[in-house]
Amino acid sequence: MASISPRRPQLTFEELLQVRWLLGGALTLLALWTVFYMDIEAWTLMGLATAVTVAVLVWPTLPSHLPGWVHTAAFPAIVAFFAADLWLYTEVLPAMVRLDVLLLLYRNVGYRQRRDDLQVVVLGLFLIVVAGVLTVSLAFAAQILIYTGIALAFLLTLTLSEAAATTRPPVSAPPAGPPAWATQVQWRQLFRRVTAVADWRVVLTGGLLFVGVVLISALLFLAIPRFQLENSMFLDRLISKRSKSGFSDTIRIGEVTDIQQDTSVALSVDVTDRAQIPAAPYWRMLVLDQYDNGTFKFSAGLRRELSGPRTTSVLRGEAKPRLGEPVFWTFYFESGVSRYLPLLGHFEELRFREAQNFRFATTLGVLELREEPVTMTAYRVEGFNPGPTLPDPVFAQRWRNRERPATTYWTPQTRTLTGETDRATLTRLMREAAGERAVPATEFANRAKAWLRQRHDYTLSPRIPPGDGDPLVRWMASREAGHCELFAGSFVLLARSAGFPARVATGFRGGTWNAYSNNFTIRNSDAHAWAEIFDEVSGSWLRADPLEAPTNARAEETRGEASLAARMDRSWSARLDSLRVFWYRRIVNFDQRSQADTMKALKTATEDSGRRARLALEDTMRRLKEWFSSPWDAKRLAGICAFVAAIAGMHWVWREFGRGYWRRMRTPRRGTRAPDPIRDEAGRWLARLAEAELAATESRDLAVREIGVGAPPVIGDLQRLRFGSRATWPPPERVFRAARQALRESRRRAKVRR
Amino acid sequence: MSDFVPAAQITEAKQALDRLRNNMRVTIRGKDDVIEQVLVCLVAGGHLLIEDLPGVGKTTLAYSLARSMDCAFSRIQFTSDLLPSDVTGVAIYDETVKEFVFKKGPVFANVVLADEINRATPKTQSALLEVMDRARVTVDGEAHAVGTPFMVFATQNPVDYEGTFPLPESQMDRFLMRLRMGYPEATDELEILRTARGGYDGIPLNPVVTRSEILSLQSLAHQIFVEDSVLEYILRIVTATRTEAEFRAGTSVRGGVALRMAAQARALVHHRDFVLPEDVTELVAPIFAHRLALARQTSDALEERRAVSAVLKRIVASIPHPV
Repeated sequence: MASISPRRPQLTFEELLQVRWLLGGALTLLALWTVFYMDIEAWTLMGLATAVTVAVLVWPTLPSHLPGWVHTAAFPAIVAFFAADLWLYTEVLPAMVRLDVLLLLYRNVGYRQRRDDLQVVVLGLFLIVVAGVLTVSLAFAAQILIYTGIALAFLLTLTLSEAAATTRPPVSAPPAGPPAWATQVQWRQLFRRVTAVADWRVVLTGGLLFVGVVLISALLFLAIPRFQLENSMFLDRLISKRSKSGFSDTIRIGEVTDIQQDTSVALSVDVTDRAQIPAAPYWRMLVLDQYDNGTFKFSAGLRRELSGPRTTSVLRGEAKPRLGEPVFWTFYFESGVSRYLPLLGHFEELRFREAQNFRFATTLGVLELREEPVTMTAYRVEGFNPGPTLPDPVFAQRWRNRERPATTYWTPQTRTLTGETDRATLTRLMREAAGERAVPATEFANRAKAWLRQRHDYTLSPRIPPGDGDPLVRWMASREAGHCELFAGSFVLLARSAGFPARVATGFRGGTWNAYSNNFTIRNSDAHAWAEIFDEVSGSWLRADPLEAPTNARAEETRGEASLAARMDRSWSARLDSLRVFWYRRIVNFDQRSQADTMKALKTATEDSGRRARLALEDTMRRLKEWFSSPWDAKRLAGICAFVAAIAGMHWVWREFGRGYWRRMRTPRRGTRAPDPIRDEAGRWLARLAEAELAATESRDLAVREIGVGAPPVIGDLQRLRFGSRATWPPPERVFRAARQALRESRRRAKVRR
Repeated sequence: MSDFVPAAQITEAKQALDRLRNNMRVTIRGKDDVIEQVLVCLVAGGHLLIEDLPGVGKTTLAYSLARSMDCAFSRIQFTSDLLPSDVTGVAIYDETVKEFVFKKGPVFANVVLADEINRATPKTQSALLEVMDRARVTVDGEAHAVGTPFMVFATQNPVDYEGTFPLPESQMDRFLMRLRMGYPEATDELEILRTARGGYDGIPLNPVVTRSEILSLQSLAHQIFVEDSVLEYILRIVTATRTEAEFRAGTSVRGGVALRMAAQARALVHHRDFVLPEDVTELVAPIFAHRLALARQTSDALEERRAVSAVLKRIVASIPHPV
């Protein structure tokens, strides 16, 4: 123990072991936390392991009550568990994760040796790294940072306690009961001891070490060649992923409701030009055309429009290039939402972070990834055309030729209902909504929207009236409140019965503008369904959202800052989200090009600052020269006086406030005594003089020792200032001056003698 | 503890102590450090246990101290058949006045030399120790104050353990310090050989300090200023002995207070009106060593003494001085 540090109070061997046990438990808990966001079925095991770890932390004597056969049976049992898991579920990675959790659990039900402690570190690291590679989430970044810190402290404690163990007499036979340290655990008292032992030097060194590790990692991250870790390792193939929301190609009425309870972020969008942001953005993901008894579906006919699957990272869109600065929209689409990517409309070009395997229908504006992404998907879109209309020349062409034999392409978009009564009711309702006479699509849309809104209220938990026939028609005929799907579906049916092709579109509406990271944040609760109706006149699909507030109908075109003001989000969750966006922008979406850019920027910044400093120095020198060579006058004198006064004032402020503070920071913790600058100063002078004395006596000349710094009056005065009663103090400044002289004297003498 | 001691009082104390010291140096040669410790003990108002071989000057030391002061000295030779009443005194029936009259024992003096204290039975030992603690004797329910100042010089022989009753730790706690005399330097011993005469009565010593001067020294010692960080330093040392694995038990609260009082006395002996950390450091071994026992078994008493002082040394080295 004494070899670690001879001068500080130290933790005893038992306390070191206690700290070691505590840190090991903390590492385990931190690693187990990954299961929360990894989407692997290990909840039971995780809960069990967490409970056990917490229990052995609270009652460290628990492991000693475990019967011996548990340890004997543990290894075969774990192997059998792993084998059975692999055989039953046939998924490698989840089985490995479960095995890892189980091993962590086992390592916490017994007292760990050094080897076992190292095992805990490695097991935890495995969990965290696997989770990090799979999800590339912000939680991973936070977790690995905390893990690094705790693991550093843990390894230090491990080394210290091992070093201390070597200096202790060996225990002849391991005792049967719990080890001594476990019986005397009092975490609160231990905490007090640790805080008493750790002074600012230790904390500072630890902090610097941690910062150093993080910095080196960051530099390595900047420097290593970019490659897609998850793609290279095929880790995502090892795990089957389920969508957490309902954005599939079939929507049953009522499914959206679940999503709307979920306020987690679904999509973050960066825009280079804020003015381009529509007042009410509709992030369109999918169109559903085929209706069948309460269910809208992405029909096989429309699906045929999707181009064959291809793997590329760049995709040309329908929109025509426009004049002016190109506007880029960068989407960060969270995993587990859908495999249909949200878009605002037609675009010029879409670029993925890495090549993707996808299918795309230009005219539909639907982009479908081959597989649901397990990590966040980043893509950048140039030149969006985010309007309420979606030109579709192909469909317009076919619609004009609709008298020819019907094609599967547009039939589903016009087909309404099969039942006679339903159809009759629908026609009646349509007449009621839009009037007897035929009107153009835009006018029809306005009337139908107004009619639906006036007839039904909005609710998230609708009630469909019981009865025969089509559920949507029953709802329409009633006056029940409903949600967006019911409104959109009803509109589509009304439009189709009036002879207009129409379909349901799903995606997100709105979102908030994060004031901290300046980006759009769309949450799962912003999920929305609306309708699209085909307008023969313009040859395009018009967005028709029955739930859109009527006053906003024309405000659609107002864009930019004004509309953003209403969406500003300055809440605490926005702050957290901004951190997430930072992670996306800077770390995840970090490709070869931005890497090169960053390196270049770093280099330029270094060179620039160096050059600027040199220039500034030269400039100062030149001005100083000028100043000296220029003639004297009253103004200059006043300037000098002011300068001197300012220096004196600063010196005074430093002496009054700054110096004491600086000393308090520097002096080691000395218990409960209130800081006293004069005592501290006297103590420092005593230490310095003692040091000088030591140096003088070591310089071989005995004469120095006799006439050196041992000048007793100064020492006595300093001692009185430091330890004496305040009432008997000599004037401190005079004593310090004398001490300064004595110190100078002794140093000079020591130098001469040497 | 007042904050302020007039410089004149310190000077007076210095003069008195110098006289005392010089007077003792006449008979106790080459043992200035021991004389200093004895003075510290005297000023602190504590009792002293001297542990060494016979014939190295323990009794002479006690005697020269007692004779240098203007006060009463008595000596009790402890043996296994010594009774408590032989120490404290006894009440006997006086025919002339028809009642019990208290005959004062040898303990009624200012400096009492209890020679070879560990040879007496525990009962007798504890009779003395009660006096040491409370400075009075209670016989038949009547309390009799012993002299003021009151100081017990006990001696014991660490080697001779045949037929002895070692003092238990609780009673060791009553002694402020335990000292060793040790052999004198060769030149000093030569001088002793040249001048020494048999018998203590032949020692040419005159009282140089009055009893009231001793009492004022003792009360002055209580006023010596102890800065908070020094108190904390003492506390850290005391705590360290309690957490040290090698000791069976740490220092008592009384031990900590004793260290503080002794440090104040040492500061006064060094003509200071405030305590330095060095005062504490120097006194840790003599004040704590006899209060601590090792947790492990040792082969003999001497080895235990050595081990305890080695651990104490390590503890003192491991605790940083207040800077």
